Amino acid sequence: MILKVENGNFAYSKGANVLNDINFEVKSGELLAILGPNGVGKTTLLRALMGMLKWKSGKSYIDGEDIKSMSPKMLWSKMAYVPQAKSASSAYSAFETVLLGRSSKIGVFNAPRKIDYEICEEIMDSLDIAKLKDKKCSNMSGGEFQMVLIARALASEPELLILDEPESNLDFKNQLVVLDAMTNLVHKKNMACIFNTHYPAHALQRADKSLILTRGGVSYFGNTASLVNEDMIRKAFGVNAVIGEIETEGNVMQNVIPLDINTNDTSSSFDSDKRAIAGITIISSTNEMYSKVNTILHDYNSLLVGRMGLPYKKFGLYIINITLDGTVGEINDLSQKLGVLPDVNVKTVFAKI
Amino acid sequence: MKTRKIGVLKLHWKILLIIMPIAALFIALCIGRINISPSEVFDTIMSKFSSDYEVSQIMYKTIWTIRMPRILLAILVGAGLSCAGCAFQSLFANPLATPDTLGVASGSSFGAALGILLGLGMVGMQLTSLAFGTVAVFLTWLSGSGKGRGLGSIVLSGIMIGSLFTALVSLVKFVADDESQLPSITYWLMGGLDKANYTSLLFGAPAIIAGIVIMFLLRWRMNLLPLSDDEAKASGVNIRLLRIIIIICATAITASCISLCGQVGWVGLLIPHMCRMAFGGNHLSIIPASISFGAVFMIVVDTIARTATAAEIPVSILTAIVGAPFFIFLMRRNGRWQI
Repeated sequence: MILKVENGNFAYSKGANVLNDINFEVKSGELLAILGPNGVGKTTLLRALMGMLKWKSGKSYIDGEDIKSMSPKMLWSKMAYVPQAKSASSAYSAFETVLLGRSSKIGVFNAPRKIDYEICEEIMDSLDIAKLKDKKCSNMSGGEFQMVLIARALASEPELLILDEPESNLDFKNQLVVLDAMTNLVHKKNMACIFNTHYPAHALQRADKSLILTRGGVSYFGNTASLVNEDMIRKAFGVNAVIGEIETEGNVMQNVIPLDINTNDTSSSFDSDKRAIAGITIISSTNEMYSKVNTILHDYNSLLVGRMGLPYKKFGLYIINITLDGTVGEINDLSQKLGVLPDVNVKTVFAKI
Repeated sequence: MKTRKIGVLKLHWKILLIIMPIAALFIALCIGRINISPSEVFDTIMSKFSSDYEVSQIMYKTIWTIRMPRILLAILVGAGLSCAGCAFQSLFANPLATPDTLGVASGSSFGAALGILLGLGMVGMQLTSLAFGTVAVFLTWLSGSGKGRGLGSIVLSGIMIGSLFTALVSLVKFVADDESQLPSITYWLMGGLDKANYTSLLFGAPAIIAGIVIMFLLRWRMNLLPLSDDEAKASGVNIRLLRIIIIICATAITASCISLCGQVGWVGLLIPHMCRMAFGGNHLSIIPASISFGAVFMIVVDTIARTATAAEIPVSILTAIVGAPFFIFLMRRNGRWQI
């Protein structure tokens, strides 16, 4: 099974393009993460690639066949969709919900047969949610309902599973349950799987490939390990972050720690070699950090054009205001170095020139 | 409470759902201005099919000409409106949806009132009623549907078209002759099954029966109706076609019912909710249950309507008087229900 999207462009009627020239592919046994901030068009991308929205130009192919030319029955027996589990308002029980996933395999005037019941029971067993069988969806927790929706998607026995932010509203444990379920389907059942997420860490920890969507409409596709880095996270999310490796027993996990909002990223309107005037306010709450701040400032002495006399000291706080003249890159470097210090708050303001 | 087995009706419920309307029919045949004993009713029914049974002419006429068509109509109207109401509640994922949500009832009422105003007679009135019911739904669909609009906008335009036709009904009443036409329009709008005869049944029943049968056959498919658009599409089923079929069936049922016996409110709201409270949300259960309970409810209400007082009570007054308190009782006892 290969799903391929070529030159996908999408715009809501008359508006500017929401998605620009999207290209990617995902095969059986691969997990693809679609990463991007809220509102960048992740769900739109999923809906367009599944044919629920029409590409303005470009196509999606399953095994080389254009999705548009496939009958809905054919298409949806190859792939299945798990929507965001926003509200579990359905009056059906878990089992009734899972059975609905078999709709395309059940004749128009028929009710589900024994085989349908058996398949659904098996799927619920394999996802470890058999105990939920008779529970009403409206009485479930978010995690339980999400697993039921995954089971419903699996009931049609698809080769490709598409999930829309499956872990976004869940607590730690349930995030792991959902992510593990996806990982198992891909690596044990050899399915292809696409999921939307706004957690780069989940992409780093789980996904073979990633597609990153940014506000400017530019997208990046590649192997997760080489694609998802600090620079990319700044581009996509507008956040300065560090990617750290955490060693556990027998495993090294990558984690993303967001540091602060990258205020000067109005996507390339500042380029890092451009000259800029900026002010930085630094507040340190310990004496120890205050001296570290001073050491760092000393390294950047050439940028300093002004410093308001002696630091203001009160209640154990040290407040420093400095004015800088240098390139955007240098100023950013300085403010990042200051910002990672514990007990230090830093705010950088660029002048509009 | 023990959970039911995956939402399918148990055998004893299936049997009960079939027997109840038949029993109600039989009992209702016994009750009336003249009370007839069950054994006589049985003999009279059999005399139609076999010459071994002999009954008096008056008995035969009471049962076969007066009571039977009326009770059959009650069964059709009760079953049809409940089934249509149930389908609309699921289709629009709205507990307040009734068979009238798309403006059918108002359109049909206008058609009937117009028929009376023009003095078209029974069959002519039935025809105009059916025609305007269909026109109303068509207008609703035309103004409410469209690219990117959800079912919510259809419900809204249904309300608009409904009130438009309600205003037209008032207009007809306003210009009607207040000696003869106005009372008969008003009385007709209140609904009553007293006009039942085999000719009008022959005319109105096929659409009702067809609607019920199609929805009954589609009952498992109808479980897809309350799902969101994307989910429904992702099921691989042509959800648009399913919705259109359901709307056509429900419209045919409602317009036919109204053309036969005027506006009968409440049944389409009350009975489906009762069934949801009792059986859950699975249409495998609630469609058959709605059909059966709707028929029984209507037989009971109509029997009260024709026997409680010397003059007949309009049936929609009774459905509300009997229905509302009963519904509130159920709701308070049962807590909650959902679409």
